[in-house]
This record gives sequence, structure tokens and C-alpha cells, in this order.
Amino acid sequence: MNHDEAALLLGPYRDGELDPATRLKLEEHLAGCPSCPQKLAETRELVGLIQSETPRFAASPFLKTRIQAALREEKSSSATVAWWRRLSPGATYSGWAAAAVALVILAVGFFSTRGIPELAREGVANHVRSLQGGHLVDVASTDQHTVKPWFAGKLDYSPQVVDLASSGYPLIGARLDVLNHRNVAALIYQRQKHYINLFIWPAKADSLHGSYNQNGYHVQCWTKSGMNYIAVSELGEKELGKFVGMIQDQTADSRPGG
Amino acid sequence: MTEQHRDAGGNLTQPDFEQIFLPHLDAAYNLARWLLRNDQDAEDAVQEAYMRAYKAFARFRGGDGKAWFMTILRNVCYTTIKKLRSRETPEPFDEEIHQPVGESEAQEAFRQKANAETLHDALERLPDEFREVIVLHDLEGLAYKEIAAVAGIPIGTVMSRLARARGRLRGEIIAAKAKESRS
Repeated sequence: MNHDEAALLLGPYRDGELDPATRLKLEEHLAGCPSCPQKLAETRELVGLIQSETPRFAASPFLKTRIQAALREEKSSSATVAWWRRLSPGATYSGWAAAAVALVILAVGFFSTRGIPELAREGVANHVRSLQGGHLVDVASTDQHTVKPWFAGKLDYSPQVVDLASSGYPLIGARLDVLNHRNVAALIYQRQKHYINLFIWPAKADSLHGSYNQNGYHVQCWTKSGMNYIAVSELGEKELGKFVGMIQDQTADSRPGG
Repeated sequence: MTEQHRDAGGNLTQPDFEQIFLPHLDAAYNLARWLLRNDQDAEDAVQEAYMRAYKAFARFRGGDGKAWFMTILRNVCYTTIKKLRSRETPEPFDEEIHQPVGESEAQEAFRQKANAETLHDALERLPDEFREVIVLHDLEGLAYKEIAAVAGIPIGTVMSRLARARGRLRGEIIAAKAKESRS
């Protein structure tokens, strides 16, 4: 191995990328070369420095939640497309069998979706949208006394803002959203790495009641003291239920707008 | 990946997809962040890559999930870079910092000045293709073969590109020191 060849292989040698035979030849050259060992040491020093001094940027937990939410959305919309593809003229016999299975699955999905009120579905759609594109909150604050006044002038009512930080559901901010054809308050709470959207607006003659599961999102609806509430999250039913229970407890004795 | 992970349509299910690819989130974000140089663009690129990967999931035949996913991510990043570049004016080439310096002086400068900040700046100044191989190899620990797959280049090119990238990075650090001592 001549010097020029060896010089090119110093990096791959440091990186453990040489086959045994080439490595041996390079080591023979290194033993007798006046300059290559120095070059090799420099490469080692530089790479060591890169590895010890350069930050490895880590993804925020929020990004993961956002991606999972987007995947869930994608999954529910692509199921229909897959079904239509199966019905194309080129489909094989087993394709038709799969289509029949898909049809049953789709039918079940369809009817179970039909069982969910429009409002709850709207709530899920709003929740998913809020997790995409970094528009979770318009005002970021963990302080209920900052969040509540923020709605003044934006809504014709004043939603109660409950602080649940000590119970492990910290408030992280608020947003103005549209639900049921009107502007509504959206409070955002966090539970570990998950988020809860709590939509609040004044009830008229309507009264909400029920809990639903759509595409893995849990929704709970209720009406209390003249206000409608919809809580949506990818949290499990139990954890969301605990949150809802605490909100209900702490808003129980209050007047709407109080 | 075995058949039991596929649903009636032959697609892998979402839990499987997440199980295979979400562990690479940090690696993906690190590359995107180094290539795009800001948080928001990096996050958008990573999410876009996951969406594309999910849609192309039926074509994933098992094997190296990390390389497969990073290939998609890299394409998204370069598309974003093209879009961003068309909006910004290129930085003028600084003759000063590219002046050659003597070798012994250089080695000394490298030792003294090689702190985290200089290194970070120097790495950011490298051309994208150079920065990319350093991030993929030295930070993410991908083998030459994997980098070749991700970047779509022969292994020999990975080897020479990495060598040039390291040489250039070392030069940038030394130049930064030389510039500082002159000012």
C-alpha cells in the first residue's frame, strides 16, 4: 500500500469500515509512515470532539403527540380509499374476499360513527387540528387568572377556568375555537405527554350527556350550571374520566360566568 | 416483518408502524434540525416524513427501518431547503476565513479554539451534503452502507465525502481561531 492510498483510508480505518485484509495493510503502512499516524490522530481528535461537544437535538414530546394524532387521522381517511382500490376491475378473487371483509369492518365503523353525535365528532376534529402545526394555544399560560381575562372581549360569556395542576393535569393555555357554529372557549390541559381540549360554551335549551370513542380519541360531554362542556383527548377513558370528574366537582357550585 | 402484522388490505397497522418508526423520532429530528437549522421547519419536516412513510408503508418490506425512514426524511428536508433557499439571498463568501494558515500554527489553533460554540458554528457553515454525512455518521452512528442507502450515493462517495467534510470542518475551526486572533 502506497502513501496516497493509505491517506485516503485513515477515516474509514478510524470508523471501523475497512475489511480485515485492508486494515492489516494499512496498519503495516502506519508503522513505517512519518505523517499518517499524525493525520489519524487528528481525525480521531476531531470526531471525538464532534461526538462530545455537538448537541444532538431531541424531538419535543409535543412533536410525538402531534405525529401520532396526524397518523390516526390519516388512518381513518385511508381505510375508505383502500376499500375502493380493492373493488377495481383488476382485483383478484382473494381481493374480493378481502373486500368483503373490509366492507364488514367499514360497515361496523360506519354505524359506530353514526352513534356519535355531531358535536362530539366536531370536538375530535378540533382536538386533532389543534395538535397539528403548533396551534395548540393562542395564549400560553398555566395561570387561571391570566387565561380567564384573556377571553374577555373575545366571547360574550366568561368560562370558568379551573386549576388542576396539583392533581397532575396542569393547565397550559387557551384558544378560541369554533364548535356548534359559534366561537367557543377551548382550555388546554396536559396529562404527562398528552393533551386535553376542554370546550366550553353556554347551553341554551340543549343538554349534553355521554362519552364516546372515535378513532382512539375519547370524548365526554356534559352540561352543568348552564354551560356545555366537551372534553377530548387521546388519553384513556379512565384518565379522561378522572379529569372530567374534577372539572365537574370544581364547577358545581358556581354560577355561569362567575 | 411477518404477515401477521398485516390487515386484510395487506397494510401494516398503525401500532406496528409506530412501533417500527417512532423509535427513530430523535434521530430523524436531529438530522432535520441540523439540515434545516430551525425548530419549526424541522418539526414540520419530520411530521411530513412520517405521513409519507405511513402512506408508503405497504412498500416497506422489512429490513432496515431506520435507513428506509431516514431516506424519506432526507428527501422532505431537501425539498424544504429548496423552497427556503429560493426565498433567501446567499451569504457572501468570506475570503478572510478561508485563507490558508501554516500547519503547526493550525494544530495549535485547533486545540485552543475547539470549543462547543466554534464547533457548532463551523458545522452549520458546512455545505448541506457535508453536514449531513457528519450528522449521520458521527452523531447518529450510521454505517457507511446505511448512509449510502439514505443519501442514494455509492459507498465510495460516502467515504470520500465524509473525509472532505471532516477536513473542511477542521479547517473552519482553525480559520475561526485565526480570524479571532487577528481581530
